[in-house]
Amino acid sequence: MNEINQPHTPIAVGDGAAIPHKSDAGLFTAWRIAFFGSIILCLFLAFGRPDQYMAIFKFIPDGIVITFKVTLGAIMLAIVFGLIAGLGRISSNRLINGTASLYVEVIRGIPLLVQLFYIYYALGRFVKIPDMFSAIIAMAFCYGAYMAEIFRAGIQSIPKGQMEAALSLGMSRQQAMRQVILPQAFKVVLPPIGNGFIALLKDSSLVSILAVSDLLRRGREYASETFNYFETYTVIALIYLIMTLFFSKLISIMEERLNDGR
Amino acid sequence: MKIFRSLSVAALLVATITATAFAAPKSIKVATDATWPPMEMVDANKQIVGYDIDFLNAVAKEAGVTVEFKNTAWDGIFAGLDSGQYDAIISSVTITDERKAKYDFTDAYTSIGQILVVPKTDKATKTIADLKGKKIGSQIGTTGTMEVKKVAGVESKTYDEVGLAFEDMAAGRISGVVCDEPVAAHFALQKKEYKDKFKIVGKSFTKEGYGIVVKKGNKDLVALLNKGIKAVKTKKLDTKIHDKWVK
Repeated sequence: MNEINQPHTPIAVGDGAAIPHKSDAGLFTAWRIAFFGSIILCLFLAFGRPDQYMAIFKFIPDGIVITFKVTLGAIMLAIVFGLIAGLGRISSNRLINGTASLYVEVIRGIPLLVQLFYIYYALGRFVKIPDMFSAIIAMAFCYGAYMAEIFRAGIQSIPKGQMEAALSLGMSRQQAMRQVILPQAFKVVLPPIGNGFIALLKDSSLVSILAVSDLLRRGREYASETFNYFETYTVIALIYLIMTLFFSKLISIMEERLNDGR
Repeated sequence: MKIFRSLSVAALLVATITATAFAAPKSIKVATDATWPPMEMVDANKQIVGYDIDFLNAVAKEAGVTVEFKNTAWDGIFAGLDSGQYDAIISSVTITDERKAKYDFTDAYTSIGQILVVPKTDKATKTIADLKGKKIGSQIGTTGTMEVKKVAGVESKTYDEVGLAFEDMAAGRISGVVCDEPVAAHFALQKKEYKDKFKIVGKSFTKEGYGIVVKKGNKDLVALLNKGIKAVKTKKLDTKIHDKWVK
């Protein structure tokens, strides 16, 4: 953990929920208060005020499943896109490097909301893509560009001497990349990827504009028919909060395990 | 002393605000979701136009007030009325019991019904029930959505705007769209891109009346608007507006 905080590792941490760490006592208690507080609040609302809130909790579960599906599908695809584009960004082949850089620049310059509309409606005129799948592709396409930058920075943070040493041992460049550089880079990129995952979980709420019945869309459907806007969005916000806090904890545990194995 | 003065100023302010809120106002702010052609839409000059707009302007003229329109997304349009961002909504709002429980309505000013639109290639479908196991689109929180949800076995898909539902049907992702009759006619019979692709199935299957929505308890504004609606109907101005927008 301390290593990646050194100034020579140029990894920007995105806007995901802060990942708690043991050494960070203040954040740790903030995490506890937020996580257990929101669970208790949810239970209190569902059972203490059943006539207003129980119906909301019954209406949205399938939306939570869709939100998970979109997020997991998108993060896995985004890591694949990101790894390919990230390797492309450090390639000495000018064509590959140029293509990867163009992808990163173009995608990072277009808001996710616009990309979602574009892939869903504009491309829908030419190719038939099912709704969920096009939502996942659009999210993955966008986050792939950010992941590419994370991978590039992660690989470049491994000292050059490592590659030189591997080559002098008789490894090929590909072999050295696969067996020496990438395993080390993976540890470095895990926290920013984790943050990317949490940011993606939150941004997945944007797919509700594509008529994908995710958590936010279910909430909006409920609110627009019952007019219980305050109650509905309270529940939606709490559920998103519980999910992001849960995953940020999970990622910090994963990170600790990886560092223990050093 | 100072504190008393500021308190009395505050009291005066509150009194003025409540007075302007509930006494007959000179100018009213009205929200509309201008994505519902031909009832309300944005024209090439970025002006909000349509049946509802002309109608309310006529009503306001009869009632002696002026209207300022505010384009607002449909799925938050009632919430904005709750929080006092505007005084009324005219946006093809069907008067239903659920809505009447939370908001006050004027008298119905026109009557319409829900209707089903399908691709031209679909020869078999006669009602929503024939589309069991398939997806039907509608705008979120509309009476169209409520009608789709009533039919068991049909998957309801809701969109922010009805135009997006028609675009999704053009892309082949859904098998039908349910919306208000004049809107269906606009998209399926008049719009160039869709004219050859879509058709209207049968006749409308609900009977609904549009009303102007105001905050619960705002009786003065309801009375004022009703007076205007009555005058417009007696002068037969509404048929003129109807002929202008609905073909």
